[in-house]
Amino acid sequence: MKTILDWLDERTGWRKVKEVILDRHIPKGVDWRYTLGSVTLFFFILQAVTGILLAMHYSPSPDHAYDSVKYISKEVPMGAFLRGLHKWGATGMVISAFLHLLRVFVMGAYKYPREVTWLSGVILFFFVIGFGFTGYLLPWDQKAFWATTVGAHMVEQVPYLGTALAKIMKGGQDLGAVTLARFYAIHVLVFPALTLLFLAIHLFLVVWHGISAPPERDSSSFDPRDPSWKTRLRARYLELKAQGKSFWPYIIFKDTVAVTIVFFIVLGVAIWKGAELEDLANPTDTTYNPRPEWYFLSVFQLLKYFPGKLEAFAVVLLPLIAVSLLFALPFFDKGPRRHPADRKWLVAAGWMAVLGLIFLTIQGARTPLTNPVGEKNPMVMEGKRLFVELHCQYCHTLHGHGGTVGPVLDEVGVRRNGDWLANHFRNPKKITPGTTMPNFNLLDGEVEALVAYMSSLGGGTFSPKAPGLFEENCATCHKFHGVGEEIATDLTHIASVRDSDYIAAYIKDPLKLNPDAAMQGYTDQLTPEQIQDLANYIYQQGK
Amino acid sequence: MTDTSQKVHDPENPQRRSFLIGLIAAMGGLISFILGGSGIFYFLSPAWRGKKEDWVEVGPVEGIQEGTPIKLDYVKRKMDGWNVIESPSSVWVILQKGEWVAYDPHCTHLGCPYRWDSAKQAFLCPCHGGVFSKDGKVVSGPPPKPLVRFPVKITGGTIYVLPEGAA
Repeated sequence: MKTILDWLDERTGWRKVKEVILDRHIPKGVDWRYTLGSVTLFFFILQAVTGILLAMHYSPSPDHAYDSVKYISKEVPMGAFLRGLHKWGATGMVISAFLHLLRVFVMGAYKYPREVTWLSGVILFFFVIGFGFTGYLLPWDQKAFWATTVGAHMVEQVPYLGTALAKIMKGGQDLGAVTLARFYAIHVLVFPALTLLFLAIHLFLVVWHGISAPPERDSSSFDPRDPSWKTRLRARYLELKAQGKSFWPYIIFKDTVAVTIVFFIVLGVAIWKGAELEDLANPTDTTYNPRPEWYFLSVFQLLKYFPGKLEAFAVVLLPLIAVSLLFALPFFDKGPRRHPADRKWLVAAGWMAVLGLIFLTIQGARTPLTNPVGEKNPMVMEGKRLFVELHCQYCHTLHGHGGTVGPVLDEVGVRRNGDWLANHFRNPKKITPGTTMPNFNLLDGEVEALVAYMSSLGGGTFSPKAPGLFEENCATCHKFHGVGEEIATDLTHIASVRDSDYIAAYIKDPLKLNPDAAMQGYTDQLTPEQIQDLANYIYQQGK
Repeated sequence: MTDTSQKVHDPENPQRRSFLIGLIAAMGGLISFILGGSGIFYFLSPAWRGKKEDWVEVGPVEGIQEGTPIKLDYVKRKMDGWNVIESPSSVWVILQKGEWVAYDPHCTHLGCPYRWDSAKQAFLCPCHGGVFSKDGKVVSGPPPKPLVRFPVKITGGTIYVLPEGAA
């Protein structure tokens, strides 16, 4: 064994490498706050591992992106779990990178001789944000599409260059196939490569200079007017270093404990919350409430304070100032004084900025949803997609458009029940001999989706019990075709403004759709089937 | 600058040192096990994920003569990962002695599409001269094994086949 290690040492010099990296002494006083960098590094590794695995089942084109992400979540063993880890790992990485930056700021660790370490760190921080921004377009769901649309419009606010910049970002005029491919390439190729490069620089400098010692209050020995302060600083650093412990295993132990704790938190959230997938991106949807990922909520909120032409100020100027300040920090806060108490004004300003950021984020998160949150049946959405994909409207008319070969489908949900529809899709000729409708050899899931969509057309059927349900539960406040009191809204013509899904959602939880509603939710009194029945009845009779 | 001339010494006792190393290994091992395990499971899962049985309707029993092979074309709609694809394909069906047989329409040599020669009462492959008998056995030529049979069933006068591993 020893000869093998000797042989290897002669060829690779690993003993020296080990000595420099693992056996180096860390200054006395390095505590748990110093584990944030390692935690961020761990997140990078976690994101790389889970990201590579996700890429194996992902297709970066608008036609397939959504389906492939759904495939990962529903079909691939452990897929949903790994997606959850990747999503929440991103959140964890943003937090840990931010806290790491904050720790270095408060302790003044960016000062001589670690200015370049700071600069490389700030660049890495922006990569983390960039990863987030490019990453959440990839599932191509509603959130992805609309948040990126908003992002692109923000870029357009840049004076003079805005339009060109937005086009470069989107790869064209519209947000579409090219945008997705670009974002994907940047997310999985450009950013990882650049991150590795800057990470190498960052880590090399950390080893080269040694981890900064905790700041000391005793500034008399660090008088900046004394030109020899750099030499004194170095002497003091070596002194603290000699008193400290070796990196391996003492410091690595702390790092490992911190990493393990954080890993299990992310693991727990990933299992508990998972990674949601909203409805497929729909550029024509006017009922969606676009919201960015939480780490962009501050910018989202900021936009509200700067209407009209002032918007460029919020979108371009403020972020530009913030970025410049971060880069310039080690060049205007110089000298030997590192302790926060010796840099009161700067540290106070820094905390103010952090509080501002937190305030904006909270305000952004509390923004009321302008559009009512209607619960959409995912099967109906899926059926709608198939309806278009299979070109059903070549033969059938729906909402006034389509061919006349087959029957009009506007009211088909009322005319036909689910079983009939399912058999019809499986084998049209068997149900309707002599029909010209072809057999599409539909898959089971497709039949189910089409049945759900067709059943929803015309508002669905209601049972004979529905009018009774209305009289018992609703008529005390609502008037409907001459029945009931007029305390609340008259529902007689409600169908001209709301569909049955909306009505059902309203009966379940009125406050969700209308914060001013005086009505209570009926989930305790009525079963979900009864609510749907009632909603269908109100919709059918309200037309 | 790193001071490497410094003699590496450990002020702590060696027992504590090996205790910490043990804990680091345990925690690191646990994370690697969870992350690596689920990742490997995810990556290797195609190996044991079962294939869904997907019977395809290929045509009616009506009009098929006993003892005469017939080529039935069909469009198979199936899941290809996250995509739904429609692939036109065909199958040779023959009713012999009351038993239904369906053959993969590709020659077992190199996958060429063979045809039925009613004069010779044999399947002829146009590529390298492979000849198969009515019951799928190799009569002559290079094919290494008999024609591949697909499971076939008749339900309500309709023929269904299960084209397993068909291109």
